[in-house]
Amino acid sequence: MELIDRYLVLVGFGETGWGPLLLSASAMTLGVSICGFLAGTVIGSVVTFMKLSRYMVLRWLADGYTTILRGVPDLLVIYLFYFGGSAFLGYLGGLFGYQGFIGMPAFLTGTLALGVVSAAYQSEVFRGAFKSVASGELEAASAVGMRPWPKFRRIVAPLVLRYAIPGLGNTWQLVLKESALISVTGLVELLRQSQIAAGSTRRPFEFYLTAVVLYLVITWASSIAFRHLETRTMRGTRSSL
Amino acid sequence: MDFAFMWETFLILLTGLPLTLELAVTSILAGGILALLLSLFAVVGGPIGRGFTRGYVFVFRGSPLLVQMFLIYYGLGQFRPLLQELGLWAIFREPYWCAVIALTLNTAAYTSEIFRGGLNAVSVQQVEAARACGMSGPLLFRRIVLPIAIRHALPAYGNEVILMLKATALASVITIMEVTGLAGKLIADSFRAFEVFIVAGAIYLAITFLVTRLMMIVEFWLSPHLRMRPPTLA
Amino acid sequence: MSDRGTFLTADNKNSTAAVSVKDLRKRFGPLEVLKGVSLEALEGDVISILGSSGSGKSTMLRCINMLEVPDSGEVCIGGEMFRLKKGRHKTEPADRRQVDRLREHIGMVFQSFNLWSHMTILENVIEAPVHVQKRNRAECIEEAEALLERVGIGDKRNFYPGHLSGGQQQRAAIARALAQRPKVMLFDEPTSALDPELVGEVLKVMRSLAEEGRTMLVVTHEMAFARDVSSRVVFLHKGVVEEEGHPAEVFRNPKSERFRQFLSNER
Repeated sequence: MELIDRYLVLVGFGETGWGPLLLSASAMTLGVSICGFLAGTVIGSVVTFMKLSRYMVLRWLADGYTTILRGVPDLLVIYLFYFGGSAFLGYLGGLFGYQGFIGMPAFLTGTLALGVVSAAYQSEVFRGAFKSVASGELEAASAVGMRPWPKFRRIVAPLVLRYAIPGLGNTWQLVLKESALISVTGLVELLRQSQIAAGSTRRPFEFYLTAVVLYLVITWASSIAFRHLETRTMRGTRSSL
Repeated sequence: MDFAFMWETFLILLTGLPLTLELAVTSILAGGILALLLSLFAVVGGPIGRGFTRGYVFVFRGSPLLVQMFLIYYGLGQFRPLLQELGLWAIFREPYWCAVIALTLNTAAYTSEIFRGGLNAVSVQQVEAARACGMSGPLLFRRIVLPIAIRHALPAYGNEVILMLKATALASVITIMEVTGLAGKLIADSFRAFEVFIVAGAIYLAITFLVTRLMMIVEFWLSPHLRMRPPTLA
Repeated sequence: MSDRGTFLTADNKNSTAAVSVKDLRKRFGPLEVLKGVSLEALEGDVISILGSSGSGKSTMLRCINMLEVPDSGEVCIGGEMFRLKKGRHKTEPADRRQVDRLREHIGMVFQSFNLWSHMTILENVIEAPVHVQKRNRAECIEEAEALLERVGIGDKRNFYPGHLSGGQQQRAAIARALAQRPKVMLFDEPTSALDPELVGEVLKVMRSLAEEGRTMLVVTHEMAFARDVSSRVVFLHKGVVEEEGHPAEVFRNPKSERFRQFLSNER
């Protein structure tokens, strides 16, 4: 039992414990995931509009977007934003007479990369959800004389969101796990913090195990939250009886 | 855009391709076998089997693959004397094998869920119909349950294969120089992220395309009942 | 204009019709569904539109509120004509706003109810008055409750559509259409998706609407309704009006052979 005691001191909240840092790193994981997910919702909505557009060029572009981002490793996307972003900032700096290296802020890199990647998945979710909305309900909205924007806001968006929630839940889990990759840019989120702790204490097993457990807690809690959301928004459909 | 540079990049990245494919194929095959064992255990192992499989799936699907990889590669390094004693150190010393193990364990969790979904797709009525004409046990499983389950699970499985292909990129973080590892190094050296991204991306997309095509062929081949046009009633 | 399709009686030639349709044509690909249909409904008219499936009756009805845009022809609501323009591939409304404005006062009841599944029955009913017509919410709720009461589902106002029977959903859909304070009501086979035992409750509501003098165009297979309730019957066949007139007249002694056949099949 000495083993467990030693472990608890290591990851605990005592003077030599890494507890507080691991917790704040978990918060960082959550933060960058949430920002990335929301960015993905925004980009994903645009891509969805393009997919449902009647112009072939837009549909084609949108399909290309999803195909590429679902086929290319996310690590590459992160490299693109991190190094590409820095190069771009350096170029901008050069315009203003600054010659040094400007690093891309890691949090921004994470948000952008997670956003761009998850947008590909979210747009698929939204498109599927839109397809499952009964066309009659949309027709009824037109029949009462709703203009396009109110029709979208009052009828289309709520219905689509409702069908999209399970899929969005999956995408969220994906983003959460993907956020661990942001550690390669040096953002001190849960995995990076564990790396730091593992390096300084030479106890990698304990810290990576702790990281696994913390990730599990987060994914578990969010799956419960999404299930709750689903039952709440699906009220009124026959399947709930 | 500098095409000479991109061509050079392409040639360099191509040298990492065998490693990427090797990682993917090994872990997909091993993961498939492990997933089968897990599914089997869930079916025949009673509550313990079911509980174990569920727990396994929960852990490996609920945490990032990269953390799992670190835990195996760096974390187990902590137990070097023990592993040496067991004669396993030769495996856990190698980043390649650690990556394969992590990828295998991870994909097994997803694949076993796909198997489960496929088995669930076999309706009670279809099984009943088979029983009614005297089938049972292994015969029922082999002739009715398995074919239906495989056809149902195939699209999801194809997806998983592509995800695994992408996941092999994580091995680069534990020093394996496959395509993404080489790409990362090139970017860090040249700072030409965009060009390298395009070349590396194209390589991955080409493989993804091949895999999707292959899956489509298998699917076509496995589902004559969807292929056959019903006689038209005009 | 096809002379067979027009219906103009001498005394109402100059008064404004609630709905008037002139020489409507519509094709879907190679199939010409409407081949020049004309029709006029005066204030208080209840017109039953009969015809076998594929006769174009639903398409005609859907052209009246531009859910289907005719290739050519005129549709006027209360004397105002839908302005159409030739698009690249097909005819389009020239002014979407005009379409929405005219639709505001055309109530439509669909075969498959089309209630919004994410809203309660009451929310369904007040949606258009509050968010399209921008009327006072409290008033709309009051009116909606009265309407729900009237169609006999006052106690269901806080239910979601999925929790109601087909007959109840269709009555809610009628209340939703009524809440628009429509000048005209369009019914597109309102009882066809219902179990036989639920048809009666919907027809009862429709009958009472007819009795209070509403202008209604009803695509239906219910012969009893057409005969007893409507002021006029129109029989469509292959995209043209084959027969029309007062129900007592046409049912007793149909002029067209096709309508005769249709009647004998329907019984």
